[in-house]
Amino acid sequence: MTDATDVTGDLAGIRDAVSVRLPAASAYLSVLRTATAGLAARLDFTIDEMEDLRIAVDEACAMLLRHAVPGTDLIAEFELTGQEMSIRVEVTTVGIAEPKRDDFAWMVLTALADDVDAVSSPDHMAIVLRKRRGAARPA
Amino acid sequence: MDLKLDHRTEDRLTIVEVEGEIDVYTAPRLRELLIDLVNKGNFHLLVNMEKVDFLDSTGLGVLVGGLKRVRAHDGSLELVCTQERILKIFRITGLTKVFGIYASVEEAKEAHGRDK
Repeated sequence: MTDATDVTGDLAGIRDAVSVRLPAASAYLSVLRTATAGLAARLDFTIDEMEDLRIAVDEACAMLLRHAVPGTDLIAEFELTGQEMSIRVEVTTVGIAEPKRDDFAWMVLTALADDVDAVSSPDHMAIVLRKRRGAARPA
Repeated sequence: MDLKLDHRTEDRLTIVEVEGEIDVYTAPRLRELLIDLVNKGNFHLLVNMEKVDFLDSTGLGVLVGGLKRVRAHDGSLELVCTQERILKIFRITGLTKVFGIYASVEEAKEAHGRDK
């Protein structure tokens, strides 16, 4: 008989991809924050790191929602690989939209995530953020 | 969890009790309450954040907006907050230098009394 615990495997072996599609409306952000914390727990992030991720995802989405076409969806794609969680959040826009990089939202997002990229294309805007477990924080 | 708001006035200080999550969805309700209080002549506000579970930059923007309004009337907007995860957001944005932040309502009331 095989040991059932082998199925879960070692944390370093985890590679999960999870997509969440929600209406692009602020009322749903609390749902996405909860999903983020739940997925971060799978990688054994500390409580502080989970909280950082929850806030970072919230800030990224709040920025995107300002540009989102009403009635469309917000798509969040989480990728968990060993020590790192990468999250891409994307909305549909009219034309090319760029996030403001001189406000509180960008300041908080870039302080809490290890890497942040904004990707704009015609009719879409995405923010990709990454956070590593146990990463040293820049001062 | 949604956002619960309450307020009471003690002497000249209006204490705003905030409970729950302040995000882009709920922050407009806090903004409306602060604007309403100022419009009704309450220029010394103390926002108790001890029961706030979540705060993002939208919430910060609302508090800064409230501060600007009361300052236009020589008033004050101060905070009660001891939660490290909430204080962290104020530190990241440099707002710990902008707001008076106290450990309890009593401590804030004492400081406010001294300033009068």
